[in-house]
Amino acid sequence: MQLAIRHLLPAYFDQGVTDTSEIWGKDLVFEKGDFVKIVAPSGSGKSSLINFLYGMRNEYNGNILYSDKNINQFSLEELARYRKDHISIVFQDLRLFPDQAVRENIEIKRQLNPYHPANKITDMANRLGIGSKLSSRCGTCSYGEQQRIAIIRSLMQPFDILLLDEPFSHLDTKNSEKAMELMLEESRLRNATIIFADLERIDFFPFTRLYHL
Amino acid sequence: MALSFKPIRSLLHTGTNSWSRWFSYIGLCIGVLLLLCSIQMYINIQQLLTEGGIRKNGFDFISITKTITNETMGKPEQNVFTEKDINEIKSQKFVENVAPLLANQFRVKLSAGEMLPFKTDLFLETLENDFIDTVPPSFTWQEGQTSLPIILSSDFFEIYNVFAPAQDLPQVSKETATGIPVTVTCEGNGREQAFTGKIVAFSDRINSVLVPKTFLDWGNKTFGQQGPIEAARLFIKTKDANAPELIKFLDQKKYKVNRDKTILGRNKIVIQSIFSGLGVFGLLVVILALMLFSFYLQLVIARSKDNLLLLLTLGYSPGWLSKNVSQRFVPIYILIVLFALVITELMQWAFHHFAMYDRPELSSFVHWSVGAIAVFLIALSLFTNYRLVKNLLYKLN
Repeated sequence: MQLAIRHLLPAYFDQGVTDTSEIWGKDLVFEKGDFVKIVAPSGSGKSSLINFLYGMRNEYNGNILYSDKNINQFSLEELARYRKDHISIVFQDLRLFPDQAVRENIEIKRQLNPYHPANKITDMANRLGIGSKLSSRCGTCSYGEQQRIAIIRSLMQPFDILLLDEPFSHLDTKNSEKAMELMLEESRLRNATIIFADLERIDFFPFTRLYHL
Repeated sequence: MALSFKPIRSLLHTGTNSWSRWFSYIGLCIGVLLLLCSIQMYINIQQLLTEGGIRKNGFDFISITKTITNETMGKPEQNVFTEKDINEIKSQKFVENVAPLLANQFRVKLSAGEMLPFKTDLFLETLENDFIDTVPPSFTWQEGQTSLPIILSSDFFEIYNVFAPAQDLPQVSKETATGIPVTVTCEGNGREQAFTGKIVAFSDRINSVLVPKTFLDWGNKTFGQQGPIEAARLFIKTKDANAPELIKFLDQKKYKVNRDKTILGRNKIVIQSIFSGLGVFGLLVVILALMLFSFYLQLVIARSKDNLLLLLTLGYSPGWLSKNVSQRFVPIYILIVLFALVITELMQWAFHHFAMYDRPELSSFVHWSVGAIAVFLIALSLFTNYRLVKNLLYKLN
């Protein structure tokens, strides 16, 4: 597996940003096991980049290649397989089903391509301090709790790449560390790449590569 | 472990606007019922009117004569068809074939022995076998053969049974009549020869006493004078006895058509047209119901748009989702069509039992093709739903 970006630039960005950005307009290759930290101030296109890599948006120039295949040319079924088997994500805006129970939210992702048995949901929820919330309706949980639900959901499937878009924005440092520890464990288990985009550097992410957007 | 639709089911907002769903179910039920009943009735009519119908191997057979007027009365040469007339009729594009009904040109007498003590002069005619509705294998004759197979008109037979009591003659059934040997005596050219005639079949189509052509040719040569072919009656083989161009041609030529035999065909066409119309109406109702259901599905998908979009974002395949969303309605669709099929079956049973008094030509059970149409309708509904959901989901992404 290899994820490469070639001269990537959002269609709505000025070409001038390529002069200062370490990512936009550049050629980069992310290998298996890389821990990539992307530091970016607000409005610099952090969520755009994550969404481009996940294949959710395609308003860009340049190419994104997954195992030498241009993800922009994936059919809808190929895109579904890409998301089910190879890439996982924690969205900045979480994207949970508010009317479903916490466990159902996680199970919906797990059953798609189960990497862990169902009881692992309980283990992970207990570890992140939301064990008691598993039967609650997701919409009634706090943002911090919902963020942890989204993190656990992202770890239920096999993946080569884990995309994190400001995953700790609603969490305190202690809970953030716990969540990071869990994600690192799971990524190492799969020898996966983590691409972690955030507003600023955080100390508990042992990145191997650092980029400023 | 197979991917389950169960946790996803509650993400579809199917409960909203359920009136359109129920209207479409009711519409589908009515449409399917109309369609199945029409097809069954169409088949019933086909089966009922095949017996005694004028059609054979997909063709109509009608007999024509020249109209006898005051001017042509007593002039037999003007009331018979000549070879030229026959060739003219044959050349018409709506006529498949023509055969003259040839008569004997010698004297024929019939006596029926002691059981039916009567004697009568008789006429014999012959027609190509292809034009006769009932031709048993025994309807053949070769020179030297003393037995003579006869095909008698059902109408003539009925007339006999009507006048028999007044003449002190016994009435007989068709089965008995086929077992009674009669003596057919041919006379002419100073010769006389008796044959043992036997009725081998009855014809509903041809009002005549038919014998094999080989016999009549031999008889005319032996006992009569051989002249040109002249026939008082012709039989026409056509694809449609009710075709306007055929009727127009016959009217122009002032040929008289045996209308009785076409009335059945005309009625059959009218009744089948009515049921065809009903079937088309049923099909339209089915299409309308499917359209109504498609509006309901569009509404469900529009209301569940956020959830479906998130499922696709998480990696659910649009093909799998379409299949499972449309499969949700499989049981109700099967139930509706089965319900319509059961009602059709009940109606067929009631029609056969109460209206047709269990006539053997019909069955109390629906025809297999009605069942096949029911299965086809289920498949059609599911396919259209699947395509619709798939298109909508692809548009969402």
